[in-house]
Amino acid sequence: MTTDELTSQFVSFQGELKSFLLRMTASVQDAEDILQDTYLKAHAKLDTFRGESSLKTWIFSIASNLARDLLRSRKRWPETVTDICREEALHNRQFFQEAMQIRETSPQGKFEIKEHIAFCFTCVSKSLPLEQHLALLLKEAYGFKVTEIAVILNQTDAMVKYYLHVSRAKMIEIFDRRCSLIDKQGICHQCTELNGIFNPKQKAQEELVKIEMARDAEDTSKDELFDLRMKILQELDPFESGAAELQLHHLEHNRRVMEKYLEENL
Amino acid sequence: MNQQATSKSQEGQATTIKKTFSRETSVSVTIMADPSIVWALLTHGSDFPRWNSTVISIQGEIREGNTIELKSTLDEKRTFKLKVKEFAPEKRLVWGDAQGSRVYTLAKGAGGGVLFTMSEKIGGPLFPLFARMIPPFDEAFEKFAADLKKEAETIQRSKK
Repeated sequence: MTTDELTSQFVSFQGELKSFLLRMTASVQDAEDILQDTYLKAHAKLDTFRGESSLKTWIFSIASNLARDLLRSRKRWPETVTDICREEALHNRQFFQEAMQIRETSPQGKFEIKEHIAFCFTCVSKSLPLEQHLALLLKEAYGFKVTEIAVILNQTDAMVKYYLHVSRAKMIEIFDRRCSLIDKQGICHQCTELNGIFNPKQKAQEELVKIEMARDAEDTSKDELFDLRMKILQELDPFESGAAELQLHHLEHNRRVMEKYLEENL
Repeated sequence: MNQQATSKSQEGQATTIKKTFSRETSVSVTIMADPSIVWALLTHGSDFPRWNSTVISIQGEIREGNTIELKSTLDEKRTFKLKVKEFAPEKRLVWGDAQGSRVYTLAKGAGGGVLFTMSEKIGGPLFPLFARMIPPFDEAFEKFAADLKKEAETIQRSKK
């Protein structure tokens, strides 16, 4: 494979790769750094690529290893991340001022509940063990097959199946217990709260009926609800969507809060 | 020394051998799954309550030399502090305390499956004094083995 071929193919899926790295790291800076390092490493090792897997699988393997190296020494986030960050945000006037500024001036400053669902998953899934987090995102959000994930993570198919099964079960359990979109007794209504702040004239209920997951919550199985949540992730590019700047600002806030929280509490 | 087996050893059925100074319960079952899946299920303590109906919680990392805290449905009020005594991946796991040890073994089973065996021997010089206070393990062992088989085979069958 030539450098031109590498570059051309890399460009064709770099949006997906950058989105994957953002959802792994919750940091724009880290995602961009790893994206660049992935290309450089792939270029340097191009003569070792023998086409045993697709180039995309090989590149995601390099990127996953770099993400792993970065994240291995960092603590995982608690599943209550959104509660902790909400409390911090409520006492942070600057956060809301900046967010309102983005909302009013940026073409990527819309607030949509669908976007917040993807954002929320990015935060909560960081409570999974690292290997499970990697496997779950690769399969459910980026459509890799078990055998491809096994290559990317350098694991057996059996272990990848284990990671996928357990991580999926954990995420379903957490959202089933917490998310008020799928259970009225759920303790987290942050998406509708924020909708009230950013879209005061738009009723939350009207926004929710547009989302299949919330509309069908009572009649749909937990597995199907999780699949609908994953469908939202698959369809949204966190860097290119109409809410990207607002959600990335929020993500940066949560990342900073988590770093401080983990340093002080664990 | 009186010896009494409560039942013949059959697939998934627990057997208890009672002696004056000890009691040993064991169960074996063939699991049609990769041994790495069975091993992963047995060694991720915090995940136990999701698939194992006999365990309320396990705290601590299951690694050789570590101490874990286990709450079981056999005695919900008690927390057992157990030391992980052996940890041979995909082969043998042993945890226990001064009164006894729980041994899990994985071996090649029929039809390409994994022969999973779990046994626990409790006893000692004072065993006759407290033997009556210890509930029988048979039912819990059978549930444990059945839950493990079901969960591991579900994962094995999951889509590619």
